[in-house]
Amino acid sequence: MTRTLVLGYGNMDRQDDGVAWHILSALARRLGCPFAGLQGNTDPSPEMEEELPSGREVDFLFDLQLLPEMAELIGQYQRVCFVDAHTGQAAEDVHFSAVEPGFQTSPFTHHMTPATLLLLVETLGKQAAAGNQPRVPEAILVSVRGYHFEFSQELSTETLPLVDRAVEYILDWLG
Amino acid sequence: MLAQKITIEPVTRIEGHAKVVIHMNDAGKVEHAYMHVNEFRGFEKFCEGRMVFEMPYITPRICGICPVSHHLASAKAGDIVMGSPPPRPANLLRELMHMGQMVQSHGMHFFELAGPDLLLGFDADPAIRNVVGLIQANPALTVKAVNLRKWGQNIIKILGGRRVHPVFAIPGGVNKSLKAAEREEILKGMEDAIATIQVGLSLIKDWVAHNLEDINKFAVFPTGYYGLITPENGLEFYDGDIRLIGRDGRELERFSAQNYLDVTAEHVESWSYLKFPYYKKMGYPEGVYRVGPLGRLNIADRIDTPLANAELKLFKQINPGRPVENTLYYHYARLIEALSAAERVGMLLDDPDILKTDVLNTRQDFKGEGVGVIEAPRGTLLHHYWVKPNGQIERVNLIVSTGHNNWAMSKAVDSVAKTYITGPKVTEGMLNRVEAAIRAYDPCLSCSTHAIGQMPIEITMLDPQGNLIDQVCR
Repeated sequence: MTRTLVLGYGNMDRQDDGVAWHILSALARRLGCPFAGLQGNTDPSPEMEEELPSGREVDFLFDLQLLPEMAELIGQYQRVCFVDAHTGQAAEDVHFSAVEPGFQTSPFTHHMTPATLLLLVETLGKQAAAGNQPRVPEAILVSVRGYHFEFSQELSTETLPLVDRAVEYILDWLG
Repeated sequence: MLAQKITIEPVTRIEGHAKVVIHMNDAGKVEHAYMHVNEFRGFEKFCEGRMVFEMPYITPRICGICPVSHHLASAKAGDIVMGSPPPRPANLLRELMHMGQMVQSHGMHFFELAGPDLLLGFDADPAIRNVVGLIQANPALTVKAVNLRKWGQNIIKILGGRRVHPVFAIPGGVNKSLKAAEREEILKGMEDAIATIQVGLSLIKDWVAHNLEDINKFAVFPTGYYGLITPENGLEFYDGDIRLIGRDGRELERFSAQNYLDVTAEHVESWSYLKFPYYKKMGYPEGVYRVGPLGRLNIADRIDTPLANAELKLFKQINPGRPVENTLYYHYARLIEALSAAERVGMLLDDPDILKTDVLNTRQDFKGEGVGVIEAPRGTLLHHYWVKPNGQIERVNLIVSTGHNNWAMSKAVDSVAKTYITGPKVTEGMLNRVEAAIRAYDPCLSCSTHAIGQMPIEITMLDPQGNLIDQVCR
């Protein structure tokens, strides 16, 4: 069984910034998988947070940002799909790209990219594999254009239709 | 040569847009550099009309970078508004959660984000001047660094009940006591955490020894220093009075956070959305001050944990009897603080009251107004609420750490630009130094800091007509 982690991040209280939350919810519904975002619940109780990996084929995780300690978890999957919003840096409204391990510098702190996180996965794997080439999950980034970032949990009319496109793409990728 | 303007504009998300504008003069030298910050716009307005007991849960949701600091500062303001001081065990547990936050935040800043860039040199090839280089030098350290952060995060999770949006502090106390097994779980990781921070300290001390020339010309300038303090002038993260010292190190004020408006005022500059706090009696800009790790160590004479106190004594030798003014020493100070926070976890867990279940004061004596203060990892955080008798928020004033340091960050950028940018071509090393000036202050500039792939940064050089002369982008 190929285990896949769909890892969304953003601020679900800042409108389109939380688009990943909506994508994960829709995806989980389509796959019949548990995810705290189902039924439009944007305030999961502690009981709804399960230990990962769950043993299922596809797991879902949502957080405000990518964090170094996620590297250990990601290393336990064969595939990982990062889901994020963008503000126009990509030409496409729904952007897909492969992610390879690599450090990306940032002018500001507290900012970790998927590539940097994958590099940490690789490094931790090297330690565990005593210097041998570790297995790094196949990774993609799905990033959806956000247009409005007000204090709201509802997506803007521009971003809302992009959710289904992102879901279809991820479903294709999952196979 | 024509006068020109250089703009460094990271494409951040939503709130927290920040950019650096460097104005070049006709001689090709830097005339002046500004850092523009736009943070927390609309936040205070948004809170009006909400109930005061909701605030500890609203504020962490707005800022995803330091949710614990906002959570606790907000609850502390609520304690005062409701006239409901928490029982001692509740204060110990809040402080414990705060120490988890200090360790994970400072640890991540040094080991995963700012440290590698710093340790490998500003002029090194960007391909190696990063965490990869640090890993190559010491791969086991990466594992330790990840574990250090996990330990801090786990303290927050144990007390807050969940990873995102902790549910813990409420006006009058906390909603959960600590179980003996949870205490043991935290204690289990403490020795390793301390050892990892000590490795970080040895790295930074070695770096200091080899980079004194840069350190002594990189954004060194006098200011006041501001932060919480114990009654014996010890380092304090959670409670106590605020101490303000002047450029010469002498105490200017010592006051309760409830009276911060008597001491502190905020200046407005036309070129920045973020205000500039200053010491009222001295006026602006004479009365500007710095907060955060460097500020806290400068106002403190001692640290009440033994290992960190020994490190503080060494730190104080940098500029005996006077404040340490070098921006790059923020990194060194941050690690001493991380050590103190990790040690403090042990002291809190050894306190006989830590497992007690008397964690909430339900009696209330409504006051209607209150100020909550805490030392967030990046500096003093103030939440001031005015509340109607029915508990509805009437007005909110927040002074966040990045706001206190606003002037200093801009000054640091200006100073570094003038020192290192010497001609029309901006090199990688120049760009990195300008970034490093900001990074040292660990600013909280974004509520949600991520973008496609790399966070772009760009320096564009324009002539007075707006024509492109040079551009550096990565």
